[in-house]
Amino acid sequence: MRSLVSLTIANVRSFVRDRAALFWTILFPVIFIVLFGVIFSGGGSGYSVGIADQDNTPTSQALVAYIQKIPFLTPTPSSPGAVPQDTGSEDDLLASMKLGKIDAVLVIPKGFGQAFTATGASFKLPLYVDPSNATSAATITQAVTQTEAAFEQGLSHVRPVATIEQTDIQAGQLSASAFFVPSILAMALMQLGIFSAIPLVEQREKKILKRLSATPLPRWALVGSNILLRLIIAAAQTIIILAVGSELFQVQVTGNPLIIAGFIVVGAMAFTALGYVIASFAPTEESANFIVSAVQFPMMFLSGIFFPLQGLPDWLHTVASFLPLTYLGDALRQTMVGGVPFASLSFDALVLGGWLIVCLVISARFFRWT
Amino acid sequence: MRDAAPRRPLGYHHAVTFPSTTTGVPMPAASPAAAASGDVIVVRDLHKRFGSVQAVDGVDFVVHKGEIFGLLGPNGAGKTTTIEMLEGLQRADGGELRVLDLDPARQAAQLKARIGVQLQTASLYPQLTVAEILALFGTFYPRALPVKQLLDALDLGEKKDARSKTLSGGQQQRLSVALALVNDPELVFLDEPTTGLDPAARRSLWDLIAGMRRQGKTVLMTTHYMEEAEVLCDRLAIMDHGKLLDMGTVTELVGRRFKERAVRFDTIDRLTDAQLSGMAAVTHVAREDPETVLYTTDVPATIGALLSATEALAVDPANLMIRRATLEDVFLDLTGRALRD
Repeated sequence: MRSLVSLTIANVRSFVRDRAALFWTILFPVIFIVLFGVIFSGGGSGYSVGIADQDNTPTSQALVAYIQKIPFLTPTPSSPGAVPQDTGSEDDLLASMKLGKIDAVLVIPKGFGQAFTATGASFKLPLYVDPSNATSAATITQAVTQTEAAFEQGLSHVRPVATIEQTDIQAGQLSASAFFVPSILAMALMQLGIFSAIPLVEQREKKILKRLSATPLPRWALVGSNILLRLIIAAAQTIIILAVGSELFQVQVTGNPLIIAGFIVVGAMAFTALGYVIASFAPTEESANFIVSAVQFPMMFLSGIFFPLQGLPDWLHTVASFLPLTYLGDALRQTMVGGVPFASLSFDALVLGGWLIVCLVISARFFRWT
Repeated sequence: MRDAAPRRPLGYHHAVTFPSTTTGVPMPAASPAAAASGDVIVVRDLHKRFGSVQAVDGVDFVVHKGEIFGLLGPNGAGKTTTIEMLEGLQRADGGELRVLDLDPARQAAQLKARIGVQLQTASLYPQLTVAEILALFGTFYPRALPVKQLLDALDLGEKKDARSKTLSGGQQQRLSVALALVNDPELVFLDEPTTGLDPAARRSLWDLIAGMRRQGKTVLMTTHYMEEAEVLCDRLAIMDHGKLLDMGTVTELVGRRFKERAVRFDTIDRLTDAQLSGMAAVTHVAREDPETVLYTTDVPATIGALLSATEALAVDPANLMIRRATLEDVFLDLTGRALRD
């Protein structure tokens, strides 16, 4: 136990003092988030608001037409596959909001037209927005409120009738940043784990593992300290990535912190175990580097980290469904910002746990210390 | 792991140049075995095979308490494999092994707490300081020496806060020896402790290893430096191709073969072996290009014969030297080749 603690401290010290390692694990993902956040946030020039006209009177139809003339509220879609679906039933629209096709849903309940003609009381219009992106939620609410007020003024009505009532709902990829923050966290955890193969092979090649096994140090302490190091870095990455996402792009984490932490731990361990598998079969540091690149780059691009899997060709869907990163990214997006599910959370957990166990078994069988 | 194929040049030329009769320290008059209370290491008929290579092929030896025992041989001789089986790092294919009265294969954990090991490793933990690494290794053992004591003993005090990657080769090697002493072991294994060091750094490590003997520790070391073996080792085993060729003190090993002196010169192709062995007082001829060595009981007679032979051929024997027989000659005699291969 004493050796486990001291080895973990030694590992953390070594890691913190290694500038290259710090750059790749901490700064690199942050740069990614900032880069993608800036590029993709600037892409869409507005928000698409779906309108469910349950009233279906001339007044309500006039309001729909009025809102649809405001370019800011009916933009062209910024991502492929996102087809604006401006009108429809409330359920249909909420469903497409969850898929990330539209940003908000305004409901015009029955009796809206009546409220203007009769001496009806003030009327509430529910507006569904996604609270995980605080900025866009506030902007949409404000824009819809102003638009509706302007519409009422145009009717030269004496007193304001309707108020917009903001209703929070977990939606899909509401903003590019909300999509990227958990995705890039997943990517960072994947790299963190897989890259553990390289120092392992280096330590074997330089006979450091052999030197350690010439001491009474038990092997479980050696493996345990490596895993602890990875988990400590994973925690640091998570905190920094979430802080950057929240500060720069107002991405709020809405899910259960325990479930999120659970996925981070299982994900980091599964990819670290994959790192051990790579280290089991890579004879030299160069070959370990090569295998790590050969594994991580395709996985990065085929796992729906950089773009939503919805609306992509079937073959890509199939490839993605075999990659563990798909499930970690999916789980983190679902739990952190309410992303569109690729699979259910329990299936995500099952796949990641399965990868962890399979990789552990393989490396227990094939990992060589010398 | 097996020794790598021969690749390092062996830089011990000073060990074979004239005059080398002054080389080395006086050997103990009596065998330390007489005073020893027990055998620290017992090896009987040890075997180890890697694929088609028989790395260790029937090795027997005993190391007595308190002595420095050397395994001498070229790279690939099986020295490292032998030592690693004793350390419990590799399993023997066959034979009997006792180290500190323990079985290294089955009682490795107990054994590892009582031995100190220095391997041919690169620096451990390049980002940690010398003091941090020593403290870290201390936590691996039930009992450890204070870091300060180790730093002082290995003259690393000034470097205690330096990251290990910034150390010179000699300092790295001292650190790696210091790590072998962290647990104040009864038995220390040193695998090529001075390889790659300059002569000054090598001598300072020799002092240190000799100091271990004064503290009553037993040392088993491997080396391919003749001079190192002559200076440090109480007893030696010469190893090649996985077999022990001979064993004893330096005096015994040399005296067993050579009453003679050696006359060496750069090989002259036109002098035949028959001519050479026919020269006055020559008992044995060894040709190890680029040099020829004549072992003789009468140096002036042999030199005279050699000079008249070369005069007849109208050549000068280049780099002609006369010396006492050394371990190098023993090795040449045993294996038919020089250790520098």
